[in-house]
Amino acid sequence: MPPWPARVAGLTGNLPARRGNQVDGYGSPSAPRGPIRVTPEVTAPAVAVPERALAERVLAGDELAFRQLYRRHTPRLFQLVLRLVGGREADAEDVVQETWLKATERLGSFRWESAFGTWLCAIGLNVAREQARRRSRRPEVDWPEDHDPPQAAPLDRVEPLDLERAVAALPAGYRTVLVLHDVEGYTHEEIGVALGIAPGTSKSQLFWARQAVRAALGSRQKGSPA
Amino acid sequence: MTDPHDELTPAERRAFEALSREADAPRGLEDRTVALLQARGVLAVPFRPVRAAPRYWQPAWLVGAIAASLALFATGFAFGQYLGARTATIAAAVGLGGSIAERTQHVERTGSDYVAALAALSQSRDTNDVAGRQQATQTALSALGAAAQEVARLAPEDPLAAAVLRGLTERRRQMQPPAAQRAVVWY
Repeated sequence: MPPWPARVAGLTGNLPARRGNQVDGYGSPSAPRGPIRVTPEVTAPAVAVPERALAERVLAGDELAFRQLYRRHTPRLFQLVLRLVGGREADAEDVVQETWLKATERLGSFRWESAFGTWLCAIGLNVAREQARRRSRRPEVDWPEDHDPPQAAPLDRVEPLDLERAVAALPAGYRTVLVLHDVEGYTHEEIGVALGIAPGTSKSQLFWARQAVRAALGSRQKGSPA
Repeated sequence: MTDPHDELTPAERRAFEALSREADAPRGLEDRTVALLQARGVLAVPFRPVRAAPRYWQPAWLVGAIAASLALFATGFAFGQYLGARTATIAAAVGLGGSIAERTQHVERTGSDYVAALAALSQSRDTNDVAGRQQATQTALSALGAAAQEVARLAPEDPLAAAVLRGLTERRRQMQPPAAQRAVVWY
């Protein structure tokens, strides 16, 4: 049984905002940080423009409004996509770009029943999965249902960098479920709707993914000097 | 063979929560995305004013420039002709107002013109025109007398100027017709 159903989850914005300390599913709605190029004409306004107003301006072809929307949501989207594609930055770039293209094309039909960022991440999730399927010459090899999972005990000490590497090394399907559940905080029901799989399948894949991560981290800890 | 009750340990949960939720997208991705959206017609392409052809390539401007050039050339040519046709007297009048040296140079230049004109007159081969020759001689002597008078004003003691004036006065007296027939006095 393939790990992912043939049907791609619809871009219905089914991923609700998670993490109670976030606004609209984001850590901060403020202007983006760091090396993103800031052209003089698009400096962040003193008062944040509502996303719906920005979206309406984007629909009218307003480039500056798009840039504001882009800078508000791309850091979050890029991090999510980067994890979903296993840390390959070039792939993440392609996915983010394609996500924005699809989002702007479908912006007119967005009903604003969910947060814009959540809807955008749902699109990004599907684009990442499409890209993974398109680019892999052979199907992603996941563990079969009757496969014995790696035996690993729960860990008492985990370094975030090691955890990041272990997650990136997972098979794509398992990685997606683990990222959505353990990093993004979605429930199995929500993941099932977003990915078009049964909640039980999501639970199963999460269990295997955690076991694999623990095994990787355990072996790393054993190999490292005390 | 899965454990539905599998839970993360506190350390594992902390590690997951410590993972970053945002990352800076690479430079240029925003501009590339905007460019793609513009190419697809989703976003408006910024207005860039079409650079008009330089004014001097426009036909009306070209015709005007040629006309102005021709007018300038014609004006210059006419002015040159005018200057060339001016008599020595007018040129002398135009030259007034300079220093003594400049006025002396002007006298020298116009005097040369006067002598050259006389030479041309004397070399005329039309010997049959007696009346014309008399008129030419009278005109030359009149100019000579006027010049002698000016020289006498300039240098009253100069014997040559005085002699010329005396000779011209004598000649005029000799050629003077009877009083009833006198009509014109030249100078």
